[in-house]
Amino acid sequence: MDEWIRQAELWGRQAEAWIRQQPPEQIYVAAAVVALTVLVLIAASCLKSSKPNTIVLSGLSSSGKTTLFYQLRDGSSHQGTVTSMEENNDTFVLHSEKERKGKVKPVHIIDVPGHPRLKPKLDEVLPKAAGVVLVVDAQDFLSSMQAAAEYLYDILTKASVVKKRVPVLIFCNKTDKVTAHSKEFIKKQLEKEINKLRESRKAISSADISDEVQLGVPGEAFNFNQCQNKVTVAEGAGLTGNVSAVEQFIRDYVEA
Amino acid sequence: MARGWVCWAELSFVYVRSGFWKGRLWDEVLRGTSISGAARVDCNRRFAAMLEELLIFTRGGLILWSSCRALGAAALKGSPIDALIRSCLLEERSADASFSQDNYALKWTFHNDLGLVFVAVYQKILHLLYVDDLLAAVRKDFSQIYDPKRTNYDDFTDIFRQLHLEAQARAEDMKSKQAISSRTLPAVSHKTAPKARGAAARATSKGKDDSDGDSEHHALANGTFTGHQSAAPNDSSLVKGKENGVPKDNGAFNVTKLQRLRKNDRKNTGADNATKKLTKPDTKKKGKQDRVWDDKPSNKKLDFTDPADERGDEVTEHVALNQGESMMDKDDNLSSDSEEEEVEDGPKKKGWFSSMFQSIAGNNVLEKSDLQPALKALKDRLMTKNVAEEIAEKLCESVAASLEGKKLGSFTRISSTVQTAMEEALLRILTPRRSIDILRDVHAAKERGRPYVIVFVGVNGVGKSTNLAKVAYWLLQHNLTVTLAACDTFRSGAVEQLRTHARRLQIPIFEKGYEKDPAVVAREAIQEASRNKSDVVLVDTAGRMQDNEPLMRALSKLINLNSPDLVLFVGEALVGNDAVDQLTKFNQKLADLSAVPTARLIDGILLTKFDTIDDKVGAALSMVYISGAPVMFVGCGQSYTDLKKLNVKSIVKTLLK
Repeated sequence: MDEWIRQAELWGRQAEAWIRQQPPEQIYVAAAVVALTVLVLIAASCLKSSKPNTIVLSGLSSSGKTTLFYQLRDGSSHQGTVTSMEENNDTFVLHSEKERKGKVKPVHIIDVPGHPRLKPKLDEVLPKAAGVVLVVDAQDFLSSMQAAAEYLYDILTKASVVKKRVPVLIFCNKTDKVTAHSKEFIKKQLEKEINKLRESRKAISSADISDEVQLGVPGEAFNFNQCQNKVTVAEGAGLTGNVSAVEQFIRDYVEA
Repeated sequence: MARGWVCWAELSFVYVRSGFWKGRLWDEVLRGTSISGAARVDCNRRFAAMLEELLIFTRGGLILWSSCRALGAAALKGSPIDALIRSCLLEERSADASFSQDNYALKWTFHNDLGLVFVAVYQKILHLLYVDDLLAAVRKDFSQIYDPKRTNYDDFTDIFRQLHLEAQARAEDMKSKQAISSRTLPAVSHKTAPKARGAAARATSKGKDDSDGDSEHHALANGTFTGHQSAAPNDSSLVKGKENGVPKDNGAFNVTKLQRLRKNDRKNTGADNATKKLTKPDTKKKGKQDRVWDDKPSNKKLDFTDPADERGDEVTEHVALNQGESMMDKDDNLSSDSEEEEVEDGPKKKGWFSSMFQSIAGNNVLEKSDLQPALKALKDRLMTKNVAEEIAEKLCESVAASLEGKKLGSFTRISSTVQTAMEEALLRILTPRRSIDILRDVHAAKERGRPYVIVFVGVNGVGKSTNLAKVAYWLLQHNLTVTLAACDTFRSGAVEQLRTHARRLQIPIFEKGYEKDPAVVAREAIQEASRNKSDVVLVDTAGRMQDNEPLMRALSKLINLNSPDLVLFVGEALVGNDAVDQLTKFNQKLADLSAVPTARLIDGILLTKFDTIDDKVGAALSMVYISGAPVMFVGCGQSYTDLKKLNVKSIVKTLLK
């Protein structure tokens, strides 16, 4: 051990002597080059992070996220889908914009699996989202209403979402079916459910589920206008290709 | 093919018309085809009826190819594949052998590197032997044509048809082999399995026996190894020499004659060789013949020794020499054959340099043997954290299944890769599948004008009553009215204990003393609570060992009679391997002993004595994995306020520390 230290000291002295031998201009130039490179890198990373182009497709299992993802990418849902086990993650030019002239900037879309066990995945991707699409099954809405409301509540109370004012689109899917509910009804029901959730999430003891952000105005019935971030509701059908609302949403918040 | 389909359609039409039920219909069709001239019934059809579907999809959930779609069969009833993914693959049970849902049985395999899943669905009552085989074959062939950018794989249909025929043939072959002799079976199946696709079909068409398969195998090996050509003619000349020489002059075995013959033959084979070089199949055949001749040295030896006795020593020596030489050749051939085999289908042995280079380049494909040491270490670590051994084992298997075949990233070690995969898996398991927001459910019940009922169950002495009181206190904090139901009518002092809690918390308690049927007491308590407009009823039950059948029956009756909103299993965090037994037995008994078809099982877990275990938090994992129910509360002390929510992330961190 002592030998090594002595050796290191020796090398250090040698290096010092070597630096003293060099002309000072050379050292200044080298230092300047290093500083400049670091600055350029920092600037580049700043520019990149200032404009996130990630859209997150979220929602409960079997609400149609993966179908929507492939509809946006390829304009077709191919041979159908099964429950996702991993997220679909791709950067592409939207299918509807492929024919458009000029340079179209691609969008980064992440389709997060909806299975409740995979919920941690959503928390991972939310901080880098430029917009969140919550896909709701409009046909089978009543049975999944509570769970969907809880899902939405979790998104709306995430500090990363509220602080950056990430816009949220509630996309009522499967409206091509006759028995599907209207978007007005869904919006009203979700607001009601979130109001109830707000009651039950009052954290008093450590046995309570705590939220990062208080939602809405205390003492008033909740509606989406009280949110700091913009929440809009739209309808469409992923399976038939009626996804213009989502495309519009993407173009509103990600520059073309 | 087309005719077969038409025949099929006709047949089925006739039988449907005559009102046969489906299974009978199949029997008739299968038997009838050979008689009625419709012998060319398409195997695919038969297959499609036996194997309901074979599906290939990405882990992201996009279906790439489906046999139903491609072969035009009927779609499945319900959605067994979604059920498989939700309740098996995502629950870290992917190392299981099979999964059954409704009438279907499902088997699956992964291609981890490409992120593909292959699932085969078939009727549960059929024991299809070839499914595993078929899945492996499909995986191999599909991964060759897979391209992440491509979404349409219609051209795979033909390949699949072929693969299926082979798999089926192999299975039938195996079955018949099993009937004849069980001894030769493994050898043959092993040899035929890795062979090229055509081989199996060929083999079945000619009804091969063991030796045939063997020689064919050698022939194949020879054919690919061109270096043999120099050795083979020499060998064959010797054999031919023997062949020609021996029977001609029985006694007079002349050395010079033999040599001459040999020279002659060498010339011949030399000339032959020139022609042979042009056509490869011929050399293949040659190699095959060699081995057939060389396989019987003992016979010839007998032939040689007899004349030697008469003639003299010299001859014997020469013969022995000859014999020895040919043996040497043969040995040589065989050893090179086996080497060739190893290179062909065994894992290649790499030098340290190439393996190091691969680890830097990040191209190292993970194999099960690579993962084993890291998984073993991880399993031991989990077990020191008090995770039940069975669970640790299953988890490690599942992680191995998810990693096998994946490429190792550059500058990453296997152990860290395994660790990350395990962390993800643990996080997935401990993340609740259902909402654990009890308050919201209580409010929902309140709107419907009935009390929310929670039943506390568990073995003796885990702290049911204490934690029931804590939950009551927590509910009171949220301005809800609570009623306690003393349904522990078994243990002396239980009612008094609960009464004390009720007095301290100033809440009503419903009690009927001891020796009453707890189910009836609970029902009366609930009725009383709904009269009093109470929001929540907490039902205390007697502690019982999971093996005590009469008590378990009573519990099952209590639960099914009152249909509570939540069945909370109280378990202590101190428990180790017994956690598995407790929960499985409780769930099983609740299911078995209930009078109604849809039995209530455990909905949630309350983990007690959490303050006494330091970092041995494994019980939480064991219980959640076994029951699939989330940990609703954690009891961590003696006072009413010592009730917490489980912090999943910190548990995962502690488990892997």
